[in-house]
Amino acid sequence: MKKISKLLLALSFVLSITSSAFAVTVVSFGGAYTESQKLGYGDPAAKKLGIPIDWVDYTGGLSEIKAQIEAKAITWDIIDLYSMDTIIGCDEGLFHEFDFDKDFYPAPDGTPASKDFFTDMPSKCAVGNILYSWIYAYNTKNVKGTPKTIEDFFNTKKFPGKRGVYKDALGNLEIALAGDGMKPGKGGKEIYEALKTPEGLERALNKFKTLCTDPKGGCVFWNAGAQAPEFLVSGEVVMSTGWNGRFFKAAIVEGAPIGQIWDGQILDYEYFALVKGGPNYENGDAMKALKEMTSPEGLAGSAKYIAYAPWRKSSIKIMEAGEPWFNDGKTKMVPQMPTAPANTKSYILMDAQFWADNNTELQEKWEAMKAGL
Amino acid sequence: MSTKIILSSDGIPLEQSLKKSERKNKIRALLLVAPLFLFILIIYVFPLGDMLFRSVDNRMITEMLPNTFSALEKWDAKELPSEEIYEAFYNDFYPLAKAKKSGKLFQRLNYEKSGFSSGLKKTNKLILDFKKENYKEQFMNTHEIWRSLDYWIAIKNTSPKWTYVKYLKGIDLTLDQQKKIVQVEDEKSIHVTLWLRTLKVAFWVTVSCFLLSYPIAYLLSTIPMKYSNLLMICVLLPFWTSLLVRTSSWMILLQQEGPINNLIVWLGLAADDNRPELMHNMIGTFITMSQILLPFMVLPLYSVMKTIPPSLMRAGKSLGGTPLISFVKIYFPLTIPGIGAGCLLVFILAIGYYITPALVGGASGSLISNMIAYHMKSSLDWAFAAALGTMLLVAVLTIYWIYHKLVGIDNIKLG
Repeated sequence: MKKISKLLLALSFVLSITSSAFAVTVVSFGGAYTESQKLGYGDPAAKKLGIPIDWVDYTGGLSEIKAQIEAKAITWDIIDLYSMDTIIGCDEGLFHEFDFDKDFYPAPDGTPASKDFFTDMPSKCAVGNILYSWIYAYNTKNVKGTPKTIEDFFNTKKFPGKRGVYKDALGNLEIALAGDGMKPGKGGKEIYEALKTPEGLERALNKFKTLCTDPKGGCVFWNAGAQAPEFLVSGEVVMSTGWNGRFFKAAIVEGAPIGQIWDGQILDYEYFALVKGGPNYENGDAMKALKEMTSPEGLAGSAKYIAYAPWRKSSIKIMEAGEPWFNDGKTKMVPQMPTAPANTKSYILMDAQFWADNNTELQEKWEAMKAGL
Repeated sequence: MSTKIILSSDGIPLEQSLKKSERKNKIRALLLVAPLFLFILIIYVFPLGDMLFRSVDNRMITEMLPNTFSALEKWDAKELPSEEIYEAFYNDFYPLAKAKKSGKLFQRLNYEKSGFSSGLKKTNKLILDFKKENYKEQFMNTHEIWRSLDYWIAIKNTSPKWTYVKYLKGIDLTLDQQKKIVQVEDEKSIHVTLWLRTLKVAFWVTVSCFLLSYPIAYLLSTIPMKYSNLLMICVLLPFWTSLLVRTSSWMILLQQEGPINNLIVWLGLAADDNRPELMHNMIGTFITMSQILLPFMVLPLYSVMKTIPPSLMRAGKSLGGTPLISFVKIYFPLTIPGIGAGCLLVFILAIGYYITPALVGGASGSLISNMIAYHMKSSLDWAFAAALGTMLLVAVLTIYWIYHKLVGIDNIKLG
C-alpha cells in the first residue's frame, strides 16, 4: 500500500516537474505570506515578463534544496529564506552571487539598489524582500488588564495563563533576556554579547524553564506561523510569540480579539536567493523574475496584503503616497510596519551571524532544557 | 551395459532439452521479477545505504586540509600548535579561499565547534593578503579562534577518515583531547532521555493497543457476518484516512477548550479554570498514537482468531474447564501468533513515529524521530541524522531478533 502510494507520489512529482519546466518556481513559506507575495509582485511580474511564476510552499531550511542539488534534480529557482540560511547556503555554494547594483533596479530617484535597501545584505547571495518581526500578542478577552512590555510576557503573577512559544531557540533566547530586564534599546547588541557568555545563556534558558514549569504559566510550542494566532483564538494560550503579519491578519482582517505588543520586538529580515543551476537559471528567466519582484513598486505591492515592511526605502515612500495602502481600502499600512517609529522604541535586531555560528550548540541546550520540562 | 539415452523428437537428449526449457522459464521468471528488484534497489537500497554511509564518512575535512592533518599528527594538543602547523593550514586554506571553495568547510567545522563559521569566514577574506612569513602571528591576529586551543583540538578530532563520533554523540558521549570517550556536559545531554522516552512510549502504546484490540478482534471474529462487516468498516475507515487528518482531529478533540475537556468539566471531574492538559505533552502523544496504530493490532489478531474453530472452546468446557480456564489454556495460546505479529508491527511503527509527536507531543512528548527530523531539516547535520537513523534501525532489528529468539519468527501470522 505504502509502496504504491509512494510510487504514485513520485510519478505525480515527475509529471509536475515536466509540465512546469518553463515556469519560474518560487518557494516560500505559504499561507497569507505567499498570498501577499503572489498578489503583490508575483502576478504583476509574470504579466509584465510573460513568464509564468509558480509558487511552492515549504517550511524553511536548506535541506530540500541541498537534496535537490545533490540528486542533480533541481526544481526550484528562487527561494525565500531566513538570513541565517542565506549565509549557510552561500558558503556552501548553493546560490548565485549577485552583482547588486547591476542585477537590481535602482530607486525611482536614481539611487543605486545597494543604497536603497535599509542595511547591507548578510551575504552576496541574498536580496532583501521584507522586514518582519517576532512580537508577542495576547487574547484581549482572556487577559485581565493590558500587557505593555516584554517583561509582561514572563509575568505570570499579573497575567496568569499559558504562553505560546516558538519551538526552536532562535528568537526565544533574545526575548528571555529582554524579558529579564536587559533593555534592548535600539538593536539589542548587548543581548547578543550576553548570550555568548555561559552565564547569559543560562539566564535565558532558566527564564523559559521558570515560565514553562510555572503552574500559573506553562508553554505550548508552535512550529508553523499560523498556529500562534490559532492558539490565541482557541484559548489554548493567553499570550503567544509569533510573526506580526499573522497577528495583523487575525486581528485586522478576521477581527479576532488580539492585541499586539511591539516592545522588545525582534526585527528580522527575509531574503530571496537564486538557486545556482535551477531550471530557469541558464536562460536567465529566474533572474529576470527576481529583478521585477524586488523592484521598488514590487516590494511595496506585497504590503498591500500583509503587514510586513518592504526592504527598500523608496517602497515606503510609494506606500506613504498611496495610503490607505491595505487592500481593504481603509487601513493605513505604514504604522503597521515593524519599522514604523512607534514600533521601534525598543527592539532587537536579529543577528544572523550569531545564529549561523551558534545555532547547533544553542539548539542542543534548548532541546535539553525542553526535554527536562 | 550403458543405459540408452532418451531422445526427444528433434534428436536432442531429453535431459538437455528439459534443462533448456527450464532455463527459459527461469529467465522468464527472473525478468518478471527484475523490475521490482531494480525498483527496490534504486529507490530503496541505494539511497538508504548512501544515507547510512554518511554517518561514518569524515573524508571531506581530511581531504580539504591534507597538509594540516599530516602536520597535526605529531602535535600533543597541550599548547597552541607551532608555526609549521599554521603554515600547513595556510597552504591548505589559501587555494580554497582563492578558488572560493572553502564554504563547505565553514559549516562542517561549525558542527564540531560553534564559532568556526564566523572565524573561518573572516580568515577566508583576510588570508588573501597574508605575507608569506610569520603565519602563526598573522592567523592569531585574524580571529580569536586561532588563539584558542579548543578550536585546534576540534580540528584534530575530525582527523580519521572514518569515524564513529556521531554514534557516540547519539548516546551523549564524546571524545576529549586525548581521544578518550567521556560523557558530554549535562546541559547538552538529551539523546539518552529521548531514546528511553521513545522506547517507553512505544512499549505503552503497544500494550494499550493490545488491550483495546483483543476484545474488538474477538467480537469481530465471533459475531454474525452482517454485523462484523459493519464493525470491520469501523476499524478500516480510520485506517484508510490520512494520518495527518486523524492527528489534526485529535488536536481538535484534545485541546483545552475542546469537546473532551468540555465533557470532563460538564461531568464535574475538573474545574472550568483548571482543565486537564490532554495535548502538547506525553498524554497527547500516547492517546493519539494508540488510536492511530490500533488497526495494525486488530487486523492480525482478527485474522488469526477467525481461524480458531469455536468448537475448541466448547470442547474445553465440556471437559470440565470453566470459561476462564478454557480461555487461558485453549483460546489464548492459539492467538499468540496474531499477538506476536500485532505487537511487533505496532512497536516497530511506534518507535519511528514522527508526525504525531511533532504535532501533539509538545516538549515532553517529542521522540527521537523528531530529533532526526530536526537534524535533517534545520541544522543540516545529515551525518548525525544518519547516525541516529542507523541506531534506530539497529534497535528495530534487535527487537526483531529478540522476538525471534523468544517466540520464533515462523510463529508470526498475519492471517
